Amino acid sequence: MFSTGSKYFFGISFLGAVSFAIYMFLIAESAIGATALLGLVAATALLTALVISTRDGSKDEDGVAASAAAPTASILPLIGAIGATLLLVGTITSPVVTLFGIVALLAALVEWAVLSWSERASSDVAFNASLRKRLLNPIEFPVIAAVGLGVIIFSFAQITLAVDKSVGAIAFIVLGSLVLAAGVLFSVRPSLKRGLVTGICVFGAVGIVAAGIAGAGVGLREDLVHAKEEGHYMHQECGAEKSKYFDKLPLEGVSATSSVDTHIDLIDGKLVASVQGIAGNQATITIPRANPTNIVFRNKTDGEYRLVASLGSKMVTADVKEDVVQCTQLIPQGSEQMLTLNIPKPAVTGKPFTLTVPGLAGQSIEVIVP
Amino acid sequence: MHRRVVGAVAGLAGTMFLAGCATNAPQDTFQPKGPNAKIIDDLQKPVFAVAGIIGVFVTVVVIIAVFKFRDKGQPIPHQSHGNPALEITLTIIPALILTVVGVFTFRTVFDLAKTSDTEMIINVTGQQWWWEYDYPVQNEYGITQPIITSGQLVIPAGTKVLLRQTSRDVIHSYWIPALNGKRDAVPGRVHLNRIEADKPGIYAGQCTEFCGLSHANMRMEAVALSKADFAKWVANQLKPYTSPAENTLAKEGETVFMNQCVRCHQVNGMKRADGTPVIAAPDENMVSGAAPNLSHLMSRNTFAGATFDLLNKSCREDVWGAESESFGAKYLGGVSEDCLNQSDLRGWLRNAPAMKPMYANPALLTSSGGKYRGMPNLGLTESDIEKLVAYLLTLK
Amino acid sequence: MAIIERSITSTEVFSVATPSTSLGALKRPVASTGWKSWLFTVDHKKLGIMYSAAALFFFIVGGLEAVLIRLQLAAPNGKILNADLYNQMFTMHATTMVFLFVMPMAAGLANYFIPLQIGARDVAFPRINAFSFWAFLFGGIFLNLAWFLGGAADGGWFMYAPNSGPVFSPSHGIDFWALGLQITGIASLAGAVNLITTVLNMRAPGMKLMRMPIFTWMQLVVQFLLLFAVPVITVALFLLSFQRNFGATFFDVSAGADPLLWQHLFWIFGHPEVYILILPSFGVISEVLPVFSRKPLFGYPFVVFSGAAIGFVGWGVWAHHMFASGLGPVSVAVFSVSTMAIAVPTGVKIVNWTMTLWGGKLEFTVAMKFAVGLIVLFTIGGLSGVTHSVAPSDTQQTDTYYIVAHFHYVLFGGAVFGLFSGFYYWWPKVFGKLLNEKLGTWNFWMMVIGMNMTFGPMHILGLQGQPRRMYQWTEARAGEGMFNFGFWNMFASIGSLVLTIGVLLFLINIVITARNGKVAPLDPWDARSLEWMTSNPPKEHNFDSIPTISHLDEFFHRKYEEDANGQMVKVKTAEQVMKELEDNADAHIHMPSPSYWPIFLASGLPVIAFGMIYSIPIAIFGGVIVLFGCYGWSIEPSTAPDDDFDPPATTKDVVHVG
Repeated sequence: MFSTGSKYFFGISFLGAVSFAIYMFLIAESAIGATALLGLVAATALLTALVISTRDGSKDEDGVAASAAAPTASILPLIGAIGATLLLVGTITSPVVTLFGIVALLAALVEWAVLSWSERASSDVAFNASLRKRLLNPIEFPVIAAVGLGVIIFSFAQITLAVDKSVGAIAFIVLGSLVLAAGVLFSVRPSLKRGLVTGICVFGAVGIVAAGIAGAGVGLREDLVHAKEEGHYMHQECGAEKSKYFDKLPLEGVSATSSVDTHIDLIDGKLVASVQGIAGNQATITIPRANPTNIVFRNKTDGEYRLVASLGSKMVTADVKEDVVQCTQLIPQGSEQMLTLNIPKPAVTGKPFTLTVPGLAGQSIEVIVP
Repeated sequence: MHRRVVGAVAGLAGTMFLAGCATNAPQDTFQPKGPNAKIIDDLQKPVFAVAGIIGVFVTVVVIIAVFKFRDKGQPIPHQSHGNPALEITLTIIPALILTVVGVFTFRTVFDLAKTSDTEMIINVTGQQWWWEYDYPVQNEYGITQPIITSGQLVIPAGTKVLLRQTSRDVIHSYWIPALNGKRDAVPGRVHLNRIEADKPGIYAGQCTEFCGLSHANMRMEAVALSKADFAKWVANQLKPYTSPAENTLAKEGETVFMNQCVRCHQVNGMKRADGTPVIAAPDENMVSGAAPNLSHLMSRNTFAGATFDLLNKSCREDVWGAESESFGAKYLGGVSEDCLNQSDLRGWLRNAPAMKPMYANPALLTSSGGKYRGMPNLGLTESDIEKLVAYLLTLK
Repeated sequence: MAIIERSITSTEVFSVATPSTSLGALKRPVASTGWKSWLFTVDHKKLGIMYSAAALFFFIVGGLEAVLIRLQLAAPNGKILNADLYNQMFTMHATTMVFLFVMPMAAGLANYFIPLQIGARDVAFPRINAFSFWAFLFGGIFLNLAWFLGGAADGGWFMYAPNSGPVFSPSHGIDFWALGLQITGIASLAGAVNLITTVLNMRAPGMKLMRMPIFTWMQLVVQFLLLFAVPVITVALFLLSFQRNFGATFFDVSAGADPLLWQHLFWIFGHPEVYILILPSFGVISEVLPVFSRKPLFGYPFVVFSGAAIGFVGWGVWAHHMFASGLGPVSVAVFSVSTMAIAVPTGVKIVNWTMTLWGGKLEFTVAMKFAVGLIVLFTIGGLSGVTHSVAPSDTQQTDTYYIVAHFHYVLFGGAVFGLFSGFYYWWPKVFGKLLNEKLGTWNFWMMVIGMNMTFGPMHILGLQGQPRRMYQWTEARAGEGMFNFGFWNMFASIGSLVLTIGVLLFLINIVITARNGKVAPLDPWDARSLEWMTSNPPKEHNFDSIPTISHLDEFFHRKYEEDANGQMVKVKTAEQVMKELEDNADAHIHMPSPSYWPIFLASGLPVIAFGMIYSIPIAIFGGVIVLFGCYGWSIEPSTAPDDDFDPPATTKDVVHVG
């Protein structure tokens, strides 16, 4: 299969690639040298492919005639053209487009080369087709599946990120139902005309991808942009009322028991601590300093409450002091949430660390850090 | 010839086995000194006996077979394919034995897990490579404020103590064989472990979960004192801090301490010249976030994760080897200047990592953000060390 | 890429552009001698020999690591290894012995003998077989590269989190460990699929499952265990690698993780793993004992079912490695009872082996000595295991030398003795020469004495409170009197040197036998199973004609028949039985041809691993090698085209062997 000419060009492109690697390793900066070597590799790789596919352009040996069948219709020229165009368009718009162009062009070239090579392998059309399939299917199927799935998923994501939350949900349901309907149709009517099936699939795929591109163009919706910029979901807001962002995060329910040092229960408006290993309810808890300790807040009172840990204050800069406060979200009755305390230093006398519930006066548990 | 060899080997093995039990190892698992260890011992002794009998039986049967059926020129034997009745019988017998053992095991597991009769709580925190103990406020024992110590766990004898164990970094395990089986100390979790000693005395233990470089050097002791002695110990721990007298070596040592050591080590009640309390900041310097609290250091007699003795050889023998009745008084005597193990303590202050390996490659401290694992070499001068030793001796 | 451009099987006449060349750039390797025939082989026998040779090399490496450990612990405050080096030493000793010695050695025996024992000509997927070997070898070398690149792994072979994380173990050693084990895991998994398919599909006609040799049965159970256990450790190692290299927080307590997750994942793999280690040796001695007792294995169905039972119940006992980890009394009690349950099927085997001896005609060749040694030593180890199953007792024993004693008795006295029995038993078949019996006897006794000297005292040390995984022990905890820690540690260290001499004698035996060993007859032991019904060594295609099986122990039944008095008499010699096979030789035997794709693909794996530690572009390069290897492999036919042979073969040739 490797004709003499192709071995020559392959050798050059391989040497070029090795030189490129060594060059990049030793002289990382320069663009000109890298471009030149990369260009050499690309050019000779192309020539290798061409020469293999045309078998050195040599006349058939042994007087054996290769397949005389006329070439069939092929989509490869179109894809190649699209690839080349996108490559150029991308240089003035966005590198992503160039990338798509390169991918399409490469795919078309490889397919084309192998196709033309296989068409001249023998005079039996069926054998030639099976030879081509043997060589290319192991690459085509995985790649097309991965790329296709990736594109569809990406498009779906762009659509739902661009539109309103509720609109996005409806769009998802509608699109999903359409896909399901099409699938049901195809399986119930196997005799459906091939052209019709292809048409529906292409229409659907193009539609989704186009909508995805549109969504990507529109960008993230308002509130997501805000959240990202202002880090809304990063802060804890520890007041008595429902906070705008912090309390809208998903509640993280807890089922671990041996990880928990203490359960702080709010029973009918009274705060009590049940410490693992100590019988009975406690009014103070003792935890070691500088050690992440898990306490679980369980709300057994009617209404939504949160647990706030006031852990002294720390010097943020030379003159500015900031209170250290941690809290859970507002949780309804019957729910529980974990709070992990990591207290670096013992309390300064007169200002103990406390656990309180905002909105309920007089309920406080002291946290002693020896 | 074979017979004699086998006999000799068996005899030697037997002697060795019996002789092996003839020492007084401080961590012997067959010498319980507390009720929990005794419960375990009562279960394990019969199990070992049964296992031993079965082992000897199988060995003897095999040896008999080896001799009785060796090739003496007999014809090819009867090609027996098996005897299902025998098989099933010899399967059921061990199954029955194990069922009995299983039932007792089941009961014992739950017995040992009981915590409803706890009389005292101590929090135990492990870190690389030492143990910290803090006693939460328990007025019935005179503990009116939390007490922090390390290395030696002081408990009242005959009292059901519950340890609430956790860790600040990796997994460690708390094991005092004479008093109970081991329990891991896992970061982020709290595990319960019952400790009770029948009589006053000192009971040795080691960390038994691989925890890094100095796992071999992470030890502890449980010190059981009579109830009266324990009350005295508590009272001593709660005594407020007294600064050494002016113009003494110890006072200069206090200054060195405040310049060097308080970055990590806390001595409760210590105040600066202007009256502000000194709060150590190991959270900024140590990976684990803590260093041993050195208040009343000389009331315990081991240091550096109970790896080294504060007592010199003769004083140590005196205290550690004391009978139960006199032990309490000897222990409460603490470490006096005559009894201090000068070489180990000075060596530690001079170059701690040389005595106890704590980080393999100082260059790799960057992975922990420049924080130390264990005490670094502070580069103290000999005169600083002299002053520090004098100061530490005042921490009674 | 060795497709030729004409179809061999097509009978249509059509013209072809270039008739005789193949698609590939390189000719398919077809040599049957020389170094290439080993490098590109897909023959299960050559692969079995290579597996065993590599495993033996790693046995020596692991053994040296062990001797260094014992030298360090001979005296208190030892100075031979510092703490860091000691931690690396015991981690690598365990890892090497478990993953790079016992598992591949068992795989080597399985590779060589399973096809022979079931009457097949090779395994189901010969190229995957070759890939498994090369992946194992490259993985093992990769693991050990860490010694030279900043220190080997130092977290223990159990590698508990969070100690294994990047903060507490900053050097790259653990990365090499995790990725090296991933690679050997891939090898084991591929091998498991291969051997299961082989055993279930390629048995000779008439060989029902209950007529299969017992070694193959035990290995089948082992392959199923591997199939389900290796994915678990793969997941655990991925979580660890991602935590160490890409900042994941699977075991990070400050991010809310529970370190016990690692322990559960590891031990769900780890417990079936120990059955993977022991069952092959059980299979070996279940072959050896009947042959040298001149009677069949007592209770064959019971041995089979107890092996399968061990395989099943072995999944339900993992938390007995975690009795002290704070699981809570309910879990502890349940796992305690299930661990006791698994002692029962193991006990059944001991009964069966003993009863095989009972009433027999015992010939004490070295192979038989090792087999009998296994019965006694494994029983001792198993009984100390039963004492661990009592959870409260285990809280005193775990992490002490008592545990070390237990598993060394079952692993050395069990697994290793079984493997050595297999060496002495099968050496004449594989190499055509008998290992020297006198030297072998010395080998055996030195190993028995050495083993008991080394690991016997560890029971005492453990029960007296010496913990394990410590680079030094201290006199402060050593006890008084003559028989304290000092005495027993020194005793054990001397024992380890005796053991070393024993192993050395084995190596000397190999060399002496290779130089001028006694040539072995076809059937030196008057054996019972099918692998002996071949030439010495077996021909490339194993059997000239595939025999039809009508009994368990088919070979024995072809040689012996029962006479009028119910006595077994010899009616045919081994040579006569062989002649029957040769006379009916098959006309056309097609064997798979060697291939360079397996080693090529395997070589990409350590490159990926290296890249994951140091630089992602290298990993991508490795990935390209692997993908290209997969592609080339997938389009290569199983047999080389006629023209790749020299002289070119024709389809009319009788035996297309490589």
